[in-house]
Amino acid sequence: MTSGAATFARALSRDPAFAAVALARSLQAAGLPVTPDRSASFVAAASLLGPAGRAELYWAARLGFVTSRDQIPVFDAVFGALVDGIADPAGDARGDPGASAPASRSSRPRSGEAAGPDGPGGAGAGAARGRAEVREVPVGLRASGAERLADVRLDELDDAELAVVGRLVRELALATPPRRARRSRRSLRGEHLDVRATLRRSHRTGGDPVMRLHRRRRDRPRRLVALLDVSGSMAPYARAYLLLLEGAARGARAETFVFATRLTRVTKALRDGRARVALERASAAAPDWAGGTRLGEALRRFNDGFGRRGMARDAVVVVFSDGWERGDPSLLGREMERLARLAYRIVWVNPRVAARGFSPVTGGMAAALPHVDELISGHSLAALDAVVEAIGRHR
Amino acid sequence: MTGELAELLPDVDAVTASLDGVDYLADAGLATAMFLSLRLPQPLLLEGEAGVGKTEAARALAAALGTRLIRLQCYEGMDSAEALYEWNYPRQLLRIRLAEAGGADVGEDDLFGRDYLVSRPVLEAIEHPGPLPAVLLIDELDRADPDFEAFLLELLADAAVTIPELGTIRATVPPAVVLTSNRTRDLHDALKRRCLYHWIDYPPADREVEIVRRRVPGTSGELAGDVVRALARLRGSDVQKPPGIAEGIDWVAALELLGAERLDARAADRTLGAVLKYREDQAAVRAAGLETLVGRPA
Repeated sequence: MTSGAATFARALSRDPAFAAVALARSLQAAGLPVTPDRSASFVAAASLLGPAGRAELYWAARLGFVTSRDQIPVFDAVFGALVDGIADPAGDARGDPGASAPASRSSRPRSGEAAGPDGPGGAGAGAARGRAEVREVPVGLRASGAERLADVRLDELDDAELAVVGRLVRELALATPPRRARRSRRSLRGEHLDVRATLRRSHRTGGDPVMRLHRRRRDRPRRLVALLDVSGSMAPYARAYLLLLEGAARGARAETFVFATRLTRVTKALRDGRARVALERASAAAPDWAGGTRLGEALRRFNDGFGRRGMARDAVVVVFSDGWERGDPSLLGREMERLARLAYRIVWVNPRVAARGFSPVTGGMAAALPHVDELISGHSLAALDAVVEAIGRHR
Repeated sequence: MTGELAELLPDVDAVTASLDGVDYLADAGLATAMFLSLRLPQPLLLEGEAGVGKTEAARALAAALGTRLIRLQCYEGMDSAEALYEWNYPRQLLRIRLAEAGGADVGEDDLFGRDYLVSRPVLEAIEHPGPLPAVLLIDELDRADPDFEAFLLELLADAAVTIPELGTIRATVPPAVVLTSNRTRDLHDALKRRCLYHWIDYPPADREVEIVRRRVPGTSGELAGDVVRALARLRGSDVQKPPGIAEGIDWVAALELLGAERLDARAADRTLGAVLKYREDQAAVRAAGLETLVGRPA
């Protein structure tokens, strides 16, 4: 047993609550969601396991505190630092024993100097033809104060304007088309005879089934999966889109991922109303924040990790990206094909579509387009109406 | 019952040994998790890649305890009639008809008695007489609706089930509950808080060889070693569905059946369908050359 582990074990047997709280605080400082009952469960586990070596301590603590796979690396770092590394936790109760853990969130997001939305748009004016239709955006008017802002490009809003628009954006209700649920509901008309209900009803009429009852399949909304590009060129739009998805995370129970070079699931942060936190976390995870996107790689991550397991199956998938692929476009094409096989419909929101002379003939967008069901701009508040519409459309 | 359980499984080593006795090789983490789950007692939430043996772990736990495994496979739209209990309507109706024909009287209390209740897995687990707890496996919980998790909370917290016509049925011996999830969606925090959480990783190579040889008796160490090395390569490569332990066992069984003594390119070619279930994956592996897949370290 390492001396650190021995010290900790001693502290634990001397004053279990105190040692547990010291560990809990370190974990909390490193970003793990720790609640008092977790500490209690750790103490109970440790006392059951008896005189503890490092391995027993490790498992008691991990089983007590960790509630998801993503937390394991952070936990390992903090546990390692506390038990093998630094100090007697009881000696430093007011301090922050986890401060040296590598998980500390010191890397602030650099406010990405946008590479500018003037990418390889191309000059050809021909309309793209794949599975996609490039739609002109209808101008829908929203409530009074924001009318002026309705058609302003989202990347040209200043902070005050964004606050106004943000409120409206949050209210846009995203709803996916329904799918047939497995469960059925009793109804007077429907495809199947409900024998049980019919028999029961027949008691009222002396055993003759006068009234026939049926069952009909229920409709459920489809899952909505949003993949949001937060790389430099998309950064000005990402703020507004995240607000849209924050509303959707609660209303339509959307699953949201953000990516620049890595894919991060932010559903939970959005559901708790922390869009800003989600953005910060995503940018902290993307070391080259302003450097462009590895779209194909991010999609591959999604397909391998979540899509294949069932998240994308029969769902409406919305990709928010300018399609500016830094990696290999053919990988993007392959991954889009895989995604298209899983998903019900794929909607691609690309603010550059609205630019004059835009034509998706180059690079990433061209590779992705054959597998996209609808390509729309979503570049202004008014244009977001079209996004709402596209998400609700049937195949 | 805690007494008997404590006697049977006094410490983690005893858990490891009795799981070993039923041919399930658990590492320190999983054995500790099971030990704590039984003795605290607290439900155990297992997550891990498909095919690392989550379901098998619950099965082994039941076998090690010598009790029943009661399995509830979750799916979308599952409701309490399928998880908990249902009234046996045809039988109630028959009883009424018989009573009518015989001119007898039948009261409501007769009809809503225990005889007319059909137990589903959760109720079955609650009513398990003991002395050792039954193992209730709630498999692939992430497939069920979020509402179902809320329904589980009463079960997990009190080991009790409420039936309006009969009242609350409390477990004499609370079942050992094992939940598994494939992480297609996040489970609710309220549920996670009541559980011990354990992530099952792929086992290290030597242990996996041992597992495979246990499950396919008569396999030579060489063949099992070949297969495990190939599995590790596949998991490290770009395949869409990395093979789990279960696929490895199938693969070895297939090779055994064909009489292969070592895994070479020809044998791999004939049995690739046992490990890779996507056409693209098979094509990619064949394109890279089966030689590199089965190649032995120099």
